[in-house]
Amino acid sequence: MGVLGGSAAGAVLFQACGVPEEELLVEAPLQMPEDLVSGVDNWYATVCRQCPTGEGVVVRVIEGRAKKVEGNVDYPVNMGKHSARCEAGLQSLYDPDRISAPLLRTGERGAGQWEEVSWTDAITRLAHQLSETADPEQVVMVTEPLSAHLGMVAERFASKYGARHVPYEPLERTTLRASIEQVFGQERMPDFDIENASYLLSFGADFLNTWVSPVRYARGFGQLRQGGMERGTFVQVDSRLSMSAANADEWIHVNPGREGLLALSIAQVIVSDPALRRLADEAGIRALTDGDDSRLGAFAPDLVAGAISGAVSAERMAETIRRTASDFVHHQPSLAIGGGPAGAHTNGLFTLNAVYSLNRIVGNVGKPGGVIPNPPPPLEGVPSRPAVASFEDWRNLAGDMRGGRVRALLVRGADPMYGLPEALGFRAASYDVPFIFSFSSRMDDTTAMADLVLPSHAPLEDWGSDVPDPGPGHQVVGYQQPVVRPFFEQRGVHLGTKGFGDILLSLAHLLELDLEIPGATFMDVVKEGSRQLMGRGSAPFSTYSSFPAFWNGLLRHGGWWDTGAKHDGPIPPPPPLPAEAEIPQFSGPEGEGTFYLAPFASASLTDGRGAHLPWLQATPDPLSTATWRTWAEINLKKAREMDIEEGDVVRLETAHGSIEALAYPHPGISPEVVAVPIGQGHRAGGRYAEGRGANVLSVLSPSLTDAAGSLAWAANRVKVTKTGRWERLPKMENSKPDLAVDEHRLIIPLAQRDR
Amino acid sequence: MEGRQKWAMTVDVDRCIGCQACVIACQSENNIPISDEPLFNQRRAMEWIRIERYWEGEFPDVKARFIPIFCQHCDDAPCEPVCPVYATYHNSEGLNVQVYNRCIGSRLCVNNCPYQVRYFNFWEPEWPESLQNQLNPDVTVRSRGIMEKCTFCIQRIRRTGREAKRDGRKVEDGDRGLNPACVNACPTDTLVFGDVMDPDSRVSKLKEKEMSEDGRGYHLLGSLGTGPNVIYLKKVDEHASGPTHA
Repeated sequence: MGVLGGSAAGAVLFQACGVPEEELLVEAPLQMPEDLVSGVDNWYATVCRQCPTGEGVVVRVIEGRAKKVEGNVDYPVNMGKHSARCEAGLQSLYDPDRISAPLLRTGERGAGQWEEVSWTDAITRLAHQLSETADPEQVVMVTEPLSAHLGMVAERFASKYGARHVPYEPLERTTLRASIEQVFGQERMPDFDIENASYLLSFGADFLNTWVSPVRYARGFGQLRQGGMERGTFVQVDSRLSMSAANADEWIHVNPGREGLLALSIAQVIVSDPALRRLADEAGIRALTDGDDSRLGAFAPDLVAGAISGAVSAERMAETIRRTASDFVHHQPSLAIGGGPAGAHTNGLFTLNAVYSLNRIVGNVGKPGGVIPNPPPPLEGVPSRPAVASFEDWRNLAGDMRGGRVRALLVRGADPMYGLPEALGFRAASYDVPFIFSFSSRMDDTTAMADLVLPSHAPLEDWGSDVPDPGPGHQVVGYQQPVVRPFFEQRGVHLGTKGFGDILLSLAHLLELDLEIPGATFMDVVKEGSRQLMGRGSAPFSTYSSFPAFWNGLLRHGGWWDTGAKHDGPIPPPPPLPAEAEIPQFSGPEGEGTFYLAPFASASLTDGRGAHLPWLQATPDPLSTATWRTWAEINLKKAREMDIEEGDVVRLETAHGSIEALAYPHPGISPEVVAVPIGQGHRAGGRYAEGRGANVLSVLSPSLTDAAGSLAWAANRVKVTKTGRWERLPKMENSKPDLAVDEHRLIIPLAQRDR
Repeated sequence: MEGRQKWAMTVDVDRCIGCQACVIACQSENNIPISDEPLFNQRRAMEWIRIERYWEGEFPDVKARFIPIFCQHCDDAPCEPVCPVYATYHNSEGLNVQVYNRCIGSRLCVNNCPYQVRYFNFWEPEWPESLQNQLNPDVTVRSRGIMEKCTFCIQRIRRTGREAKRDGRKVEDGDRGLNPACVNACPTDTLVFGDVMDPDSRVSKLKEKEMSEDGRGYHLLGSLGTGPNVIYLKKVDEHASGPTHA
């Protein structure tokens, strides 16, 4: 293993034997661990696997135990920064409810009765079932989106065996990817150069919190604010005051699903005003309007302002649109991004295409402060981007399961029984599947329904590689190495955990499948696969003369990159903008006491994958400061009208079921919207997750966006009623009474902007 | 050790996005007990650094503002003179230090701290056995009845100083080993830590620039005269009232 920043171990040991001189500095004659040298620590570089982004991290290891996770300064994606979620990787390693050996179901399915079996037994059982299956198409592999070498092994295994591979992405980005492909002609997600932008316009994307690559974007945002000569401006268009919206210079509230209309209206102002158009990119405008300047006429601010926001007057909205359009072209480099709820309505693709087209109006593609296309990954043979299934695929799969056309499910790193709406019937249909095998290291909702569990290593114990999507605008491969020996190693070779790549390789061996990948273990696959990078890349990677030194270098630095290997090739012109608006459709109750339902990814639990980690459960939500529970954000005045107070248990009823949550009235949300965090309400998951709060995903209607059959998770309405019960909402706010209000700006004084 | 050091931090409120990365980094580094649901409900959750959120106005003209609050390491710390047993005192490097094994839990200090950044262990901290593996061996686990608070990660300062001396070099400004855990974590570079006795350190330069007449620097509740070693930089907002600053 490569040691990052190797320390002279001898010197430390020598000093540890005596009393260091600095002890005299301590004025108390008391020794605390802080004052003692307590052993040698090493920092190992690896890749964080707590969320799909894959930040480069370094992990502090003392005496064989991981102690601290920090960002890897060298790694180009996050440049030393990290999130609370990365930090909690430690707790997923030492999770007290982790599965420590293969488990065989003994009771009813889902009853939680298990018997430990040996790995030989478990793998033989699995191989036996797979070889017994007459039609391999009836075996379905459900995984998280897998990148680089693990993606390659899984793909090869699925194709050689003949199984279907259905990668599960909660809060899928199918619509976003479709839009990027249409507007920029890019297969891979581009990098957004927030750092160098002067004006950032975000439509629904909670990019500072959970959206796509939040640590990278947050770092860029810090630079946008105070890193340059001039402070950049950031405007958020959103139906809910998200964490990103809270940090904006201006939050433009829109009715849910109307973000695209606003973007088109901005485009209309720029196209029709010669003074603004002069500053924009003429070629882009011509492509977007198809040469017809009157094409966007229907989106003139005065015509659409009323539909965009019912909460503010139409005149004020029209004025806001004109001002924003003017700022967008005057403060270049300007950048427009969009996603999250904006892309999760029935008109999601229409919206995102309109939003990303704004970038083509100012022609910022490939320029500093703009949209930077990413080059294809440098590794041959690995998937160029992780395969992802759309909601439509899940609907088909559930249908196949119900029809008895699925014999076995192999699930790893995915929890579809938690994340898919109940209306889809995936969970119910799983009773019609004879065998469910799980490779999860914890008892998530899907694993609880398994017949056999073959537990994987925690990410900090495993090998791997990662091609970040999106990358930082040049080629990067992250290398993940075990920073500690497997925690359950002491349970012996027959029990304990194994890496998923290794499980697949031994399974292929038992089934006599030739995956045509060199290497007996998954570590060999990753190592051999890196040979093709030797002699390439930025310094120091290009300088190593032998492969062992090169491999060591990869592990020391936590990856390989080539800052010169950027996207080249033309960017195709964008398709013309639509001349007519697409109206978003909502399902669910209308009338008195009903609201738009805005589900949002929890800052710490994201889509629910962090719910078993106590640090993340105890992380206050940025806006409500609530922890440990599911709450419903409701407008303060509206709540008073409905006689709802904080802590009132309210029932939220959609067209497909109901959940209960604790009310959290606050002044920052529209009176027409109720917002509920995603992440709680697990049926299983160990002591910290199980039976806690409610799962808002479960009651969503299975309606689709206008792109590639993606789930329109923001297209619901909900009826709110009081249950009459009250429970205290655990939160950080007001736990320190003296600082609870800042009416006179004693705590956060403001300085005026300089422009 | 050559020369004296005095540790200080700047907090640029205009960069802070309220993401809580610092909060969890601190919990990990300093063996802070897990704040479970009952602790929050009792208002006894511990966060040596916490993010406060303030509402301004009402929908649709509403702002939510974030500010990280932690021990200000005051030169004239109100918590120090009231401690009956010298468990909290000022050390030669400007740190407000808490000596856990002197503390008798009188809680007079928390009562006197205007920033409310001292946390009392009302309960014996407990971790499930496997989670104890993540505890930092450089930091004492505090027991029931003990007061605790931000130390500017003194264990990191000590370790870095020692390693620098061993290797015959000076402690470098911005050394990742020297920075408190929150500073390394902060994705937006809101927090800058360093030695104000070193005129070339980032924190000294920021102090000089931002505490000047047209700078954004201020002390939290400065009118109290506690002489904090933490400098906040004002949030920039076009709706600012009062004296204008660039």
